[in-house]
Amino acid sequence: MPRTLNGVTSAFAPRLWGGHLLALLLVAATLALGWWQYSAYQAQRAAESRDLTHAAAKPLTSVMGGNDPFPGNEVGQPITATGTWVGGGTVFVSGREHGGREGYWVVTPLAIGTPDGSALPIVRGWVASLADAPPPPSGTATVQGWLQPTDGTGEVDTDRSDDVIPQVRTADLIQHVDQDLYDAYAVLDLSAVRADGEPDDARGLVQADLAELPPPAGGTGLRNLLYAIEWVFFAAFVGYVWWRWVQERIQEVSTVAA
Amino acid sequence: MKLFATYRVLALLVGVLLAFCSLVAMPLKYLAADGGTWQRFGEQASILWVAHGWVFMIYVVVAFALSRKAGWSIAFTLVALVAGLVPLLIFWVERQVVRKVRDENPELTSSEPTGAVSS
Repeated sequence: MPRTLNGVTSAFAPRLWGGHLLALLLVAATLALGWWQYSAYQAQRAAESRDLTHAAAKPLTSVMGGNDPFPGNEVGQPITATGTWVGGGTVFVSGREHGGREGYWVVTPLAIGTPDGSALPIVRGWVASLADAPPPPSGTATVQGWLQPTDGTGEVDTDRSDDVIPQVRTADLIQHVDQDLYDAYAVLDLSAVRADGEPDDARGLVQADLAELPPPAGGTGLRNLLYAIEWVFFAAFVGYVWWRWVQERIQEVSTVAA
Repeated sequence: MKLFATYRVLALLVGVLLAFCSLVAMPLKYLAADGGTWQRFGEQASILWVAHGWVFMIYVVVAFALSRKAGWSIAFTLVALVAGLVPLLIFWVERQVVRKVRDENPELTSSEPTGAVSS
């Protein structure tokens, strides 16, 4: 029985170009949709992280004690702490970015409870240069901020004689104070400090950015992640159908020729 | 051959999930009184869209495999695949597929009485 010669001998035959183009467009479209869903997944998680930093503040003493290891599920938790400023222990942490500029964090320990109690390093704010830093605070205070785990980049303080350190690490900070330190630090909430007027020790400071945001719940954005996986799968499926289609076109020729 | 039976189960599942999501859950989510019981139910039930998506993924693979075994035309194959995305269409398509396979490829329905005789 005569049959129309529908097939080709090569996958690159001009009559298949239309199909190739369609397949490429479909693969591109499915991958783009997958990427869109994956971006939505990441955006949702980032948004929830930011939301968690607006949670109600807890007293530091209920979150961790002076000798406790950092509570891993309290990263970025808003806390309040009451104590005595250890002004003499003020240090500057170099290489901190804010709005794309490198500057310093101004850190002063706050001895929690009694003046000789364990101190929590408080990042009071960010300055572009050391000359902009306000004088250290003194006396007792109740502060509000976000709890952060100390850095552990392993960077070495190359000049131990000054008050500039490369990271917020207990081993470096301990050189500048006479008491124990918490295994954590807090980033001061400057908006709370400036709620009623600008104190001298906050003048010129810029709110420091959190190094680590709280982790979102495991299920956050899960739908978008599952959709993203689906789209990648469909991209693979289009590729498979494409391949099958070319194979069948080529086979038709050999069947007719045989 | 199990492929045919699998196809029918998946088609039914995709059809029910899609009909429920698009004709029940979605209207409730967007049209029911905001914050009401029905609106919340619609919102929670919307998670089934994910289930539909994943079952549809398997459906597409099985339908395509069946299409190649039965030698369907490109057009019929496309209709069979896309049917899982248009509410209620898949129920009609499934009838067409069953009729077509029984007529043209009875060997694929061997678990059914008609196929059992021929094999």
